[in-house]
Amino acid sequence: MNQANRVFDSVFDMMPSEANPTPLVRINRLNPAAGFPLYAKLEWLNPFGSVKDRAAWAMLQQLEADGKVGNGHNVVEPTSGNTGISLAALASSRGYKLRAIVPGRIPREKKVLLKIAGADLEVLNDDVCPAPGLGEGSINRAKSHAKASPEEYVMPNQYENQANVQAHVATTGPEIWRQTEGNLTHFFSALGTCGTITGVGRFLKSKNPAIKVIGIAPTEGHDVPGLRNISQLHVSKLFDSSVVDDILEIDFELAYPRALDLARHEGLLAGPSSGLILEGASQIASREKNGLGVMIFPDSIFKYISSMVKHIKGLDAEGFGFFPTP
Amino acid sequence: MNEYSHPETLVDVAWAKAHLDDPKVKFVEIDVDTSSYESGHIPGSVAFNWRTELQNQVSRDIISKEDFESLLGANGISNDTDVVLYGDNNNWFAAYGFWLFKLYGHEKVQLLNGGRIKWLNDNDAPLTKDTPKIKPVKYSVKSVHNEFRALLPEVMEASSKRDRNLVDVRSADEFAGKIIAPPNLPETAQRAGHIPGAKSIPWSMAVNSDGAFKSAEDLRKIYVQEKGIDPKKPAIAYCRIGERSSHTWFVLKYLLGIADVKNYDGSWTEYGNLIRVPIDNPSGGGGGTK
Repeated sequence: MNQANRVFDSVFDMMPSEANPTPLVRINRLNPAAGFPLYAKLEWLNPFGSVKDRAAWAMLQQLEADGKVGNGHNVVEPTSGNTGISLAALASSRGYKLRAIVPGRIPREKKVLLKIAGADLEVLNDDVCPAPGLGEGSINRAKSHAKASPEEYVMPNQYENQANVQAHVATTGPEIWRQTEGNLTHFFSALGTCGTITGVGRFLKSKNPAIKVIGIAPTEGHDVPGLRNISQLHVSKLFDSSVVDDILEIDFELAYPRALDLARHEGLLAGPSSGLILEGASQIASREKNGLGVMIFPDSIFKYISSMVKHIKGLDAEGFGFFPTP
Repeated sequence: MNEYSHPETLVDVAWAKAHLDDPKVKFVEIDVDTSSYESGHIPGSVAFNWRTELQNQVSRDIISKEDFESLLGANGISNDTDVVLYGDNNNWFAAYGFWLFKLYGHEKVQLLNGGRIKWLNDNDAPLTKDTPKIKPVKYSVKSVHNEFRALLPEVMEASSKRDRNLVDVRSADEFAGKIIAPPNLPETAQRAGHIPGAKSIPWSMAVNSDGAFKSAEDLRKIYVQEKGIDPKKPAIAYCRIGERSSHTWFVLKYLLGIADVKNYDGSWTEYGNLIRVPIDNPSGGGGGTK
């Protein structure tokens, strides 16, 4: 293996670390404050396309070390897509399987991708009445399988597993510290399982307690997959308020046009959660004028074409449809 | 005043664990998502599909007395059985089942406080995928209690006379007419808004985050002091399809002790599709008119 030349013995050796970090790219045309540079950490350049690779790898390594997967023992997990893709691809290539529990409303692209990556899918029907708490139906379904069939399934449980947090303490945090040479003043992350914000927050605060750790949450009723709004945070047991300085609530409708801005003005084909984070970070940069911010851009736009068409008027004015007409 | 009016209508997880093998007790799961039971359920429990087994598939009425008798008998439930209902989403459809059991006069019926989620999160509460062997029995409905049910004429009278508590348990946006149905869900009415005279008390105000009902003191504070429910007057609860309102019907009647409480199971899917009925739509949204 020659990491410097980007030659790896397996996909597992490509997993990110301080020595093999995901890149930071500066925001140029969209940054509102010249004295407050903003950098995006492009997590879609991880092997399976998102920041979730880190947590998935850490959780599976722990289960493998404990002898809880393999030999007919598989993994079951509630996932809006990214964690499932990471877990499915990792599990498949290591000799066991993922049963992914997903809400019905996630984009078609993610459901198909999960199957391509090797997952067995269980899609929940959520078309009757709003379930209390986004995604709680998926969490409870996965817990049911793990509890009722322990001989068949184990649930990594990204929402409560400290390995999720540790992954970011061990990799994302040190990467950011090294890449900014310790000069960052602000760290921005969306809130989902909260493994990223808690893990990176803990690491950065241990290096410099003055660094501001800012969570970005969408408004109620959002449909940005993987994110939690403020009222749903109680489900994210990994959230550690002691390392989070502020939570900004951003209108979820801005996620999509801001993602479009990133594509068209920065050349960054980032997903809608990145758009939301950019909006939040821009507000802070505008307000504070001086600093150096790092934003986690969790994934790319490629899985969200249907969502973008739904939220951006005129994007599919020609009515392209999914398959070309003969 | 700090106790529920009818605490005997609730059992907790500890009681349920202790009665798993009690031949007089039958656990019945009723879920919003009817596939939840297959992923794991209380050992010995059976499942009712609310859509196909508790509602008439043609008229969207509740099942007939005869169908109720067949359903219970086929699932080994006799007139003497202590039925414990539970389900997902904080017992939404389990509460609907409770309402139906009471309407058809079954004496011993209770709700597992907290439902599926409370059972699931208890480390010692077992879960199985095994379906129980059932010995069918005979079941006969002894009495029908239509006084628990509000039909359209009574709802319209309540709205025009304003002499009852009319409770809309949907979300604030549905009540205000901003949306006809919650996000991502199929719209099942032509018009948005609420029945004139109704108070907005979303059902979720009655439960804690673990799915269990709030204390009697907290419920009184919310419903009576904050929302202005008059416990001396009759009450009618409604939602979109009649199941969230069953949950509130249970709260008002059995926890807060209001004597005359009805569930308007036609709810907004009936009222919101009628022609020429008065509707309050403060936001003017959802395609309706003010």
